[in-house]
Amino acid sequence: MRADDPEDKGLSTNRRRLLLGLGAAGGLLASSSALAVTATDPASQVADAPESDETQEAQAFHGVHQSGVVTPRPAFGMVASFDVLARDRAGLERLFKTLTSRIAFLMRGGEVPELDPKLPPADSGILGPVVAPNNLTITVSVGASLFDDRFGLAAAKPRTLDRMSAFKNDALNARLCHGDICVQMSSNGADTNMYALRDIIKNLPDLLLLRWQQEGSVPVLPAKPGAHHESARNFLGFRDGSANPDSRDEPEMNRLVWVQPESGEPEWAVGGTYQAVRIIRNFVERWDRTPLREQERIFGRRKATGAPFTGQVESDVPDYSNDPKGEVTALDAHIRLANPRTHAARENLILRRPFNYSNGVASNGQLDQGLLFICYQQDLERGFITVQNLLNGEPLEEYIKPVGGGYFFVLPGVVDDTDYLGRNLLAATASPAT
Amino acid sequence: MKPLLPAAFAVLSLGIASPAMAEVSALDLVQPISDYKLYVSEHLATLVDNTKAFTDAVKAGDIDKAKALFAPTRIDYESIEPIAELFSDLDAAIDSRADDHEQAEKDPGFTGFHRLEYALFAENTTEGVGEFADKLMQDVTDLNSRIADLTFPPNVVVGGAAALMEEVAATKISGEEDRYSHTDLWDFKGNFDGSRKIFELVKPLLTDDADFVAKVDDNFNTVDATLAKYKEGDGYQSYDKLSEDDRRVLAGAVNTLAEDLSTLQGKLGLE
Repeated sequence: MRADDPEDKGLSTNRRRLLLGLGAAGGLLASSSALAVTATDPASQVADAPESDETQEAQAFHGVHQSGVVTPRPAFGMVASFDVLARDRAGLERLFKTLTSRIAFLMRGGEVPELDPKLPPADSGILGPVVAPNNLTITVSVGASLFDDRFGLAAAKPRTLDRMSAFKNDALNARLCHGDICVQMSSNGADTNMYALRDIIKNLPDLLLLRWQQEGSVPVLPAKPGAHHESARNFLGFRDGSANPDSRDEPEMNRLVWVQPESGEPEWAVGGTYQAVRIIRNFVERWDRTPLREQERIFGRRKATGAPFTGQVESDVPDYSNDPKGEVTALDAHIRLANPRTHAARENLILRRPFNYSNGVASNGQLDQGLLFICYQQDLERGFITVQNLLNGEPLEEYIKPVGGGYFFVLPGVVDDTDYLGRNLLAATASPAT
Repeated sequence: MKPLLPAAFAVLSLGIASPAMAEVSALDLVQPISDYKLYVSEHLATLVDNTKAFTDAVKAGDIDKAKALFAPTRIDYESIEPIAELFSDLDAAIDSRADDHEQAEKDPGFTGFHRLEYALFAENTTEGVGEFADKLMQDVTDLNSRIADLTFPPNVVVGGAAALMEEVAATKISGEEDRYSHTDLWDFKGNFDGSRKIFELVKPLLTDDADFVAKVDDNFNTVDATLAKYKEGDGYQSYDKLSEDDRRVLAGAVNTLAEDLSTLQGKLGLE
């Protein structure tokens, strides 16, 4: 076989790949050792767009709940927070309706209309003339500030929705906090999320003003059918989300996440959920210089497997019953503080759906990266605030610093084409005279 | 998956992206362009006179007078920026900011208004900046004569309405333009007047677009009324007096103006 024969190129590459793989893996093939596979398709040029068969994945927009809460988390996420510029209820209604129609398009995808080329184009064009849904979900939530005196919504404010106040270890940056409306995008691609953000900014310039935005991602794992489920790792290298309630378990989600008619909330809020967003900087250089045993002690789990010290795999439930002094799992270990596995602690479970973020280099030359923490719960006090208060003072604080985020309430879903986001909120506060 | 219906895009809040456009001939633009040229030459004449007084004060070491003249001198430059920017060498020499230069304030390429602003307001001195004053005067004089010989390209004039709003959105809203003197609201006003002037001149040609005209006017009025709250004497209060609420109102109106005015060239049949 001649290596310069174009007919033989694919074959020879494949054969070389196989040989290299065998050489590297040696006799370890039977173990779980990864067999390095060269992914290069010899037919591709360097600047060819990477290909995926997942770009047509789409999530339903209509439903009693918004998507993006119990929807399995894709690889890329973004949170954008806005100030509302509408000056009255009519403006707010226009905002909600426009946002609804944009989201309906963005989640379904399709052709972008062609305008007269003398005009600016209808969209950013970054996804081409036909937008692929790429598994996008857009989740709209509202902050406590929307319920001030501007729109007459005060009486309808969800019971535990307040402006986020700082916990002891927080160093909140005003430019990264709060907002009237928060929009979470998640999809299979960072560009899909960015396309959605730019579309919203372009279509609502007189109604929404971007306040802060944070992108994130989680590492993608190779599919392993039948294996134990594995949570994605955070930028500290630990699996994050191990103790989440099962998002596929509808009764459990109704108990912990979705507001119910008997939750004591305003009626319009049924089907919604509280969202806590936290931008948590990680001091990764320092973390990487911390001994493995200390890292594991701080979290209370094995780094490699995610298993608790009392188990073998990530999904094993930690057992503290024979460990009252914290000799196996430290009493101040992150997972033990956050969830002491008591019966009472079942009430405080939150549904975490975080992403990792990386923002380049901080002014001190260290990496500016961390966790875009996002969680959902039926009651903010009972959920995130209780859990965070349990964590206050934990040893992990030495390595993390929350700098931004906010508390929001995810609006109930849009049930059909006649419905729109926020309709029930506006209806609940409509003045009877008009 | 269902194919997208174009209706999904019909709710564009802009209400202006409709493909229907007025029939405007090149001839229709002759008068507005010539009126605009007059507007620019008047502002240029004022700019030259004021720059003379300003740079004289700097060179005479009269720091209080120089500080007082800084903002009123710049405002005329800001109002004609779309035309001034056609001469990129002069624009950089006259109006670049420290962060346009790798070594910021220490960069030898950092000259012009903001270099003098830095000396006057940050270093509180007129020492050692005589050369920068001379250079500014020379550049402004040069700009005046180059513009006098210029045939105004219609697309630049019409596009200038949006370009001025982009200027505001990029640097004035955040207070980054006049970071030592905090006189950003003067510059804001200059950009605003320049943009509105262009819009007023071409407005009679937008006969088929009453909704668009009304919306743009409405946002111009919002900016005008909000800025007016900060008037002080012949000028404007310091940028730090701008309330967070008003900053948001201005940002929203300016972003919407930038978005809407970006269609002006197309509406008038210009490429």
